Amino acid sequence: MLTLQSYLTLSAIIFSIGITGIVINRKNIIIVMMCTELLLISVNFNFIAFSHFLQDLSGQVFVFFILTVAAAEAAIGLAILVALYRNKKSISVGELNKLRN
Amino acid sequence: MLLEVIFYAFASVLICASLGVILFKNPVYSAVSLILAFITTGLLWLLLEAEFLAIVLVLVYVGAVMVLFLFVIMMLNIHAEEERSGFTNIAPIAIFLGLVVAAELIALYWIQSDQFSGLESISNSALSVDNTLLLGTELFTKYILSFEIAGFILLLAIIVSISLTLRARKNVKKQVARDQISADPKQRLRMVDIKRGLD
Repeated sequence: MLTLQSYLTLSAIIFSIGITGIVINRKNIIIVMMCTELLLISVNFNFIAFSHFLQDLSGQVFVFFILTVAAAEAAIGLAILVALYRNKKSISVGELNKLRN
Repeated sequence: MLLEVIFYAFASVLICASLGVILFKNPVYSAVSLILAFITTGLLWLLLEAEFLAIVLVLVYVGAVMVLFLFVIMMLNIHAEEERSGFTNIAPIAIFLGLVVAAELIALYWIQSDQFSGLESISNSALSVDNTLLLGTELFTKYILSFEIAGFILLLAIIVSISLTLRARKNVKKQVARDQISADPKQRLRMVDIKRGLD
């Protein structure tokens, strides 16, 4: 019997994997952005599961908008990354301390 | 029974794929692993009868966003081995943090399980309802303003990403309208007195 908790537990596991990936990766911004996508997908999973079990379509509409904003975010983030790499020849998280002090 | 088997098979594939995203040394493998995670998520959304969003997820994410990621990885020429130094000293903290987050969320869901007990999985196919039709109706009536704003955000993303990566190359002979309009005849035309030749 698949209950709502099975889906929510799966989504929680994916969310924690995403958070672990963000913390563990201090050398590569691309992996950090991919982990952000994982976090978004797990949140979307929650929305879809609740939408199915509560028989309410608002959750799916919300997921639609989250997908839109996430696509825009990925495009802008990658553009910033390319501009950054042109200027610093590196995409390491540890070396991006130009705004310090 | 079949649904449970499908769910647990896809859930284990999804967990393995997302572990692969954070554990592979090569960013290309991470991206391919993330593609697998997206496809598996789409299949699990099909189980939840969100058919339209499952297809949109595969089309938009696998077809557009991940290809963008792969292009950027290809363009940036990163050396995978030396980029991952310093991995081990932060790893225990990160794993601890992830385990705490997972334990908190899962404990929350299972302690509050009596609130979820009345909810049952009702199949829309028994009611013969079209998911796409319902979503479209909802989107174009109740959420029309948000829909327009979402379109505007996408336009904003196009403009921002082009203007961030646009690079003005030098030594290119191209037309600059601003210079043409602001041209002054005094700078362009020089009147020269030509001496008359020998009489």
